[in-house]
Amino acid sequence: MSRLSPSVRRRISGGAPFLIFGLVILAFLLVPFYSTEAISPFNGYNTLQSASSVGLLALAVGISMIAGEFDLSTVGMYALGGMLAVKFGGSSPVLGVLIGMAAGVVVGAIQGGIIAKLGISSVPVTLGGYIALLGLTNVISGGESVAYENFNVGLWLDQEVLTYFSPRSLIMLLAFVGVAALLRWTRIGRDLRAVGGDRRAARAAGVRTDRLLIGTFIATAVISALAGALLSFSIATAKPDPGGSPLVFAVTAALLGGVTLAGGRGTAAGILAGVLSLSLLEEIFVIVATPDYVSNLVLGGLLITVVAFDAPRLRDRAIALRSRAAARRISTLQSQRIRREQQR
Amino acid sequence: MSGGVSGTAVGAPEHAAASRGARRIILLILQGLVAVAALVILAGAITTQGFFSLDNVQAILASVGFVGMVAVGMTVIMISGSFVSMSLGTQAAVTAIFFIWALKFGVAPAIATTIVFGLVIGAIQGYAIGAFGANPIVLTIAVVAVIEGLVVVFSSGGTQTPPDNAYTFLNDTHFGLPLSFYVMLGVVAIGELIMRRTRFGKQVYMVGDNPLAAYVAGLPMGKIGAGVFGLAGAAAAVAGIMLGAYNQGASLLLTGSLTYDAIAATLVGGTLVSGGKGSVWKTLVGALVIATITDLLLLRGYSNGVQIMVKGLLVIVVVIVVHLRSQGRPS
Repeated sequence: MSRLSPSVRRRISGGAPFLIFGLVILAFLLVPFYSTEAISPFNGYNTLQSASSVGLLALAVGISMIAGEFDLSTVGMYALGGMLAVKFGGSSPVLGVLIGMAAGVVVGAIQGGIIAKLGISSVPVTLGGYIALLGLTNVISGGESVAYENFNVGLWLDQEVLTYFSPRSLIMLLAFVGVAALLRWTRIGRDLRAVGGDRRAARAAGVRTDRLLIGTFIATAVISALAGALLSFSIATAKPDPGGSPLVFAVTAALLGGVTLAGGRGTAAGILAGVLSLSLLEEIFVIVATPDYVSNLVLGGLLITVVAFDAPRLRDRAIALRSRAAARRISTLQSQRIRREQQR
Repeated sequence: MSGGVSGTAVGAPEHAAASRGARRIILLILQGLVAVAALVILAGAITTQGFFSLDNVQAILASVGFVGMVAVGMTVIMISGSFVSMSLGTQAAVTAIFFIWALKFGVAPAIATTIVFGLVIGAIQGYAIGAFGANPIVLTIAVVAVIEGLVVVFSSGGTQTPPDNAYTFLNDTHFGLPLSFYVMLGVVAIGELIMRRTRFGKQVYMVGDNPLAAYVAGLPMGKIGAGVFGLAGAAAAVAGIMLGAYNQGASLLLTGSLTYDAIAATLVGGTLVSGGKGSVWKTLVGALVIATITDLLLLRGYSNGVQIMVKGLLVIVVVIVVHLRSQGRPS
């Protein structure tokens, strides 16, 4: 590893999410060999289904992390988006989704404005935002789950398309493709990474950091609202509190997808690989009928592992250990040479 | 902030777009807003029947007990620059389960082992955060998932019930207030004492003020992190003991909104988000402010949702005010 050039090393670490995805696929294909269960294309459909809603949440969290921020309010917007879609989507589901996403624009603009214009860290602001949004969702719903009468919408969204897909998972994939294109072929992608990596340098280089940050928080809120709306339609219910597990999934998927907490790194394709890895892993758990708590343990353990690898001082320490080992090797080589010369 | 949740390393003196003058105006407006809100609350309190009754004041004070204990730990964590632990509420619940289970060995041993248990869970997380620079928020989110899994492994996830009634003195009321309130005052006093009067406390303030300098100066970051989160874990365990006793049993459901309420109390108490400034007793004030507003909204017939929403908005406003004020002064 130490002999590889930086660009090669970057390419390897950029490929890690896809390598992990490959390993999970391998584990999936080998299911018949280590259990009595069989696998079928339906498992692929299921994986994409479970990836649809939380996958978009992971995309939202991931985008905020690439920008060097951390949007905790995404789960609140996920709840609010789902609730608004159900409340206002009775006759026209599209209208419901649009109202949810419009609320996302407002929420994102307010939070992004505070964060960018006042230079406050995003974590406490979006934490307050999360609490406030959950409260608002509770106010709208009266504290109860709200049923969505228009079942046909969910049935249409979840119908099988080309064996593996559904309109819902296709919407999710389309969102990923859209963000990927935006990050790859427009200035926004480069600027976003610059802002996440070194904000001062980005500003000095002429990046309009404020506009970009506000746009980022609008995007994360809108995507989260869309995710919540799709989930509510699918299960024909909007819950006032989605609980903590969507956030665990989203953060783990984003980190597995090669996004770092320090910011400045990550791609939409990587996040998608992270999302699909986790969803397929959960599908494997379902196939071999592992109890819920095991998948909880595995998800939590996985997240701890990923965070540990992301930890700066652990990395420093590993580098220090490696260089110390290298120094020791050099010194032993030298002493051997000296000894040899003395023997001569 | 160790690890840095964001590129701006949570509240680092980042040159922001709004000019100095604009910031001063925003600060003035917000402080005016807070003053107006305080007046509205006061007016609401005066016109709400029964708000100043002894019963209601007791109810407000009593409601601060559990949150107050957890918030003590949250404050120490925030002062240390690790922002928050998302797992303290879950830790309170899991220590409550442990306490109820351990009651079969007697009340005193149960209390002692539960506190040690809470301290150890916290210290492990704190070491990883302090020594390796692991991101505290994400690590503690992961810990929640792991604890939830492990609880099911060890207790099959049901409600743990106590073997006998030897513990019920923990639910006694003295001078109109539950014992948990006095215990909370004790935890606040101990926390304040540790933070103000010990070398460890001074080190925590130093690390929070400038983690990089502390690291470079060779402060034992792992030990300090373990100490901070261990302390928070022990305080959460005390909350767990009182929670378990109060509910006469324990399950993970005890977590409730404890974590977020404790964070809200810490932020409203004026602790600087980036660390280095704040104090435990101010957090108690923050918790009391939130409890008073919540109580007022409750008496006025507002729904649970409105109470939560107001709490969230209050957090945002206070965070902005504290941030702008800390930047206005030369530090």
